Amino acid sequence: MAFDLERVRARYPGREILWRESTDSTMLDAARLTAPGSVVVAGEQTAGQGRFGRRWHSERDAGLYVSILLRPTGVTPTLTLALGLAAAEAIASAAGVACDLRWPNDVLIGERKCAGVLVQLGDAAAIAGIGVNVNQVAFPADIATLATSLRIATGCEQSREELLIELLGAVDRHLELIEYRGPGAILDLFASSSSYVRGRRVTVDMDGASVRGTADGLDPSGFLWLRCDDGSRRLILSGGVRPA
Amino acid sequence: MTFDEIKELIQVVKDSGVAELEVQRGENRVWIKRAAGLTQEVVVPAASAAPAVFGPAAPFAPAPGPHAAPAPAPAAGGQPIDVTSDPSLELVKSPIVGTFYDASAPAAPPFVKIGDTIQPGQILCVIESMKLMNEIEAEVSGVIVAKLVDNAKPVEYGQALFAVRPS
Repeated sequence: MAFDLERVRARYPGREILWRESTDSTMLDAARLTAPGSVVVAGEQTAGQGRFGRRWHSERDAGLYVSILLRPTGVTPTLTLALGLAAAEAIASAAGVACDLRWPNDVLIGERKCAGVLVQLGDAAAIAGIGVNVNQVAFPADIATLATSLRIATGCEQSREELLIELLGAVDRHLELIEYRGPGAILDLFASSSSYVRGRRVTVDMDGASVRGTADGLDPSGFLWLRCDDGSRRLILSGGVRPA
Repeated sequence: MTFDEIKELIQVVKDSGVAELEVQRGENRVWIKRAAGLTQEVVVPAASAAPAVFGPAAPFAPAPGPHAAPAPAPAAGGQPIDVTSDPSLELVKSPIVGTFYDASAPAAPPFVKIGDTIQPGQILCVIESMKLMNEIEAEVSGVIVAKLVDNAKPVEYGQALFAVRPS
């Protein structure tokens, strides 16, 4: 079904929201924008970007593929936790699905990922990339056991436009939360919204090895403490967290 | 933690070239730092004739918690070079705590190599912090004379990543 961009624009008058029928990556399109808050949304990405060179499966007209230009000043890693929270909140509002968050910001339904968030920070801009699996009914074999969609979870087709409307509002609210109440407010929210923050048995890829242990809370910057099975306690700086 | 275990950790630091190591086991915490006199060699491009010695670890901002400091560049038989006290070199430092990546993907070529000539604005590496991918760009033109962190290793705020001889 064609994407009704005007429905989204009507909810955010004055905001630059661009549509790409097909693009290599909305992250590259957003890098050419200048006004903070500007948005690029695509029907299809031919080279959707995941973490560290991985690709984000971007089936045509099935998912929500969006990049948002953020103000580059004041960007902290806590921002990525906030964006995961925003994506989960938008999914709950638009589709009625309760999500879990896997540190730092994978959005899960049960154990399967339905949305991912990445932020690219350069000197000139910070760009948030958010991909949500909305109406996919199946996934490629290599991610079939790891991914799910809102349609699979609910059994019915979901509106990408309504999801984008909710997402933009949720992102704005969470950024305001950081601005006015500080990163601590995001950490508290994340800790109460994610089953991966404390007590969860996990395996983490770090320094070229897999380390097994138990999640042991967030440090003041939002990094994840891991109580390793060898007795040490290590701070996880990046991603690569999965159930043990 | 026993004396033998601490001796083992010291050996790990000596063997690996890691500049600083902090290990916590239960209530015990050990912090090992290489002495100022110890040196590590780093690769010097063939075009550079300036001999120097790489000193101890670059100065760090306080760490957010205990984890190993990254190792300096591997020795490669070139002239040693002191990147911390050579005023003719510019150090590219990490603006954030995170994981250092020298390429955009595991199979991709590195953004820069030792001996490369770089220009302002050129991407040198990426520091990932909780899926915040921070592209580190060159601020000066010059030649990369040392890479001070191994790929996929943690880095601290303010830690030196590259040494550049400005042109």
